Amino acid sequence: MKFNYGMDQKYWDWSPIVKRPPLQWPDGARLAVCLLVDLGHYEWQPPESAFDPPTHTPPHSQNPYPDYVTVTFREYGHRVGIFRMMDVFDKYKVSATVPMDAHTAQHYRILVEECQKREWEIIGHGITQRQAISSLMSEAEERRYIAHSIDALTAATGNAPLGWLGPEHSQSTRTPAILAEMGLRYCCDLPNDEQPYRINTPTGELYALPCMIEIGDTMGHYNRKLPLKRWVQMVKETFDVMYEDAEESGLLLAFRLHPWCVGQPYRAKYLDEIIAHMAGRPDVWIASGSQIVDWYAKQPHASFKLRPSAGR
Amino acid sequence: MIPLNDRIDYLPFNNRPKIKWPNDARVAFWVIPNVEHYEYMPAAGTGRQKVAHGNPVFPDPDIAVNVRRDYGSRVGFWRMLKVMDRYNIRCTVNINLAVLEHFPEEREAMVQRNWDFCCHGKYNTRAEPKGLTVDEQRAFVADSIAFVKRTTGKQLKGFNVLSRATEQLPDILAEQGIIYHADYFHDDQPTPIRVRKGKLVSIPYGAEINDSVMTQRNRPWEADTFYEMAKDAFDRLYEEGADNGMVLCLPLHPWCSGYPYRIKYLERILDYVMSHSYVWQTTADDIADYYIGNYFDQVVNHMAELRKSQHQRSNSARR
Repeated sequence: MKFNYGMDQKYWDWSPIVKRPPLQWPDGARLAVCLLVDLGHYEWQPPESAFDPPTHTPPHSQNPYPDYVTVTFREYGHRVGIFRMMDVFDKYKVSATVPMDAHTAQHYRILVEECQKREWEIIGHGITQRQAISSLMSEAEERRYIAHSIDALTAATGNAPLGWLGPEHSQSTRTPAILAEMGLRYCCDLPNDEQPYRINTPTGELYALPCMIEIGDTMGHYNRKLPLKRWVQMVKETFDVMYEDAEESGLLLAFRLHPWCVGQPYRAKYLDEIIAHMAGRPDVWIASGSQIVDWYAKQPHASFKLRPSAGR
Repeated sequence: MIPLNDRIDYLPFNNRPKIKWPNDARVAFWVIPNVEHYEYMPAAGTGRQKVAHGNPVFPDPDIAVNVRRDYGSRVGFWRMLKVMDRYNIRCTVNINLAVLEHFPEEREAMVQRNWDFCCHGKYNTRAEPKGLTVDEQRAFVADSIAFVKRTTGKQLKGFNVLSRATEQLPDILAEQGIIYHADYFHDDQPTPIRVRKGKLVSIPYGAEINDSVMTQRNRPWEADTFYEMAKDAFDRLYEEGADNGMVLCLPLHPWCSGYPYRIKYLERILDYVMSHSYVWQTTADDIADYYIGNYFDQVVNHMAELRKSQHQRSNSARR
């Protein structure tokens, strides 16, 4: 029995957090916080060839076509929930990073404008939420998919997006390489760290901004049916523990929020509570994905490689 | 082959031989971090049903299920380690063998602390030993023992492969000098497992007092509840253990308890348990050794007596 040193894939290296050099954030901040506010569209019926990811949890159950319940429940986020979230973010003068899918960029121009007015960064989020990347796609299909997502955002915002979060974090074995090649700089799909890291790709320069997947509003509360207040406590605890642990070396807290979920009137005050908790703390840098990556890319941390320790 | 039904004889808790742990301990407390690796692209045909705990499953590479676990080795393990050190816990590691060579820094941290190892398969994405022939299973067990010896210097004494165990596995384990099997949830004490040759003991593992339960979609509770469950279980076992020594197992996962919002609850569990005087914080290896040295034969005889009297009772009822 014999196994190689390090990872069983090429995109990221084995790197235990305690062996890395300290990571500095601007102005001595301990914690960088990236608030991801998803604007993903849930369509009536994806094309037959699409990979419709199995994660959707409508209020009652996933219903046969036409699924008024789920489609309209999600539409609520684009119509009402997002504006409620914007009120909270404006109140605390913090900005979001917005994963936006092609459909939203094309058909909800007012949302694009509202994000731009606030200088919120818009990043790639696939075509729709019912069409995800997967290894079931051919390489040509995947390239078309990512290009379409990027082009739609470029047309709607005037700028090519720099970040990416695929629907449901889903990837094929090709995805990071294609993202880098198409000019993206960072990707939030990989939920495996509390610091950014460089992704190895044949072309381009791509960084991982790992998400704390378990504390997102859907993963941590809605899908698990964990009581709302317990979820709020869990997000605050994450922040507090990371804040403490970041004394020696900076950490990144990136997590996802959905307007259709946390933008509901019965949840909005808890969003307020969470943002107040984070924004009120000194030495916390609430920043966009690009700001974090631009800073990170210049740090020694980004080019650090762990030397394989001698085997036994 | 010994039929599955005969592997563990019925052993009611009342009137069974009483266990006295070393130093009058009431509870033998073993902590078992599952140090695992989920392959990025599990090879076709290695076929373990994906461990998604009710979370949706995606085609590989499954980022939200498998890559999510990678967090454990990169971050969570090291946060847990600090807590283990604070309470001076000597763990029994449920080890996916591949970790010992993929991630030598993790291995060194565990070896330095003189932790014991229990075999948890090669990867958590593999089905073996299920699906292997008997000869292949023998080779698998022998290779696992040799591998742990080579990479850690330790003699492997236990297996925990849960849903991957086979009908023949207990015999094969005992044949090769493995002394405990931690795949059973049927008792709060060690109990003998019937094997063709040698001695094999079951060391109780935790099904519900298990941090990974908190990541399951249909279990809407969090680490504060986990703490309460562990504390309540401990209190009960500690009380009962004054009369008859009990075992509390604490199965953990670095990708789960190493998460920032869970770590303080793990700390509270350890703080609570370790603040009691009559606790034997030990490893499964040591529990199994002690049990085999002191109680195994006695309990086997007790079970034989029970079987005999059960038999007589049913015979006389028939007459």
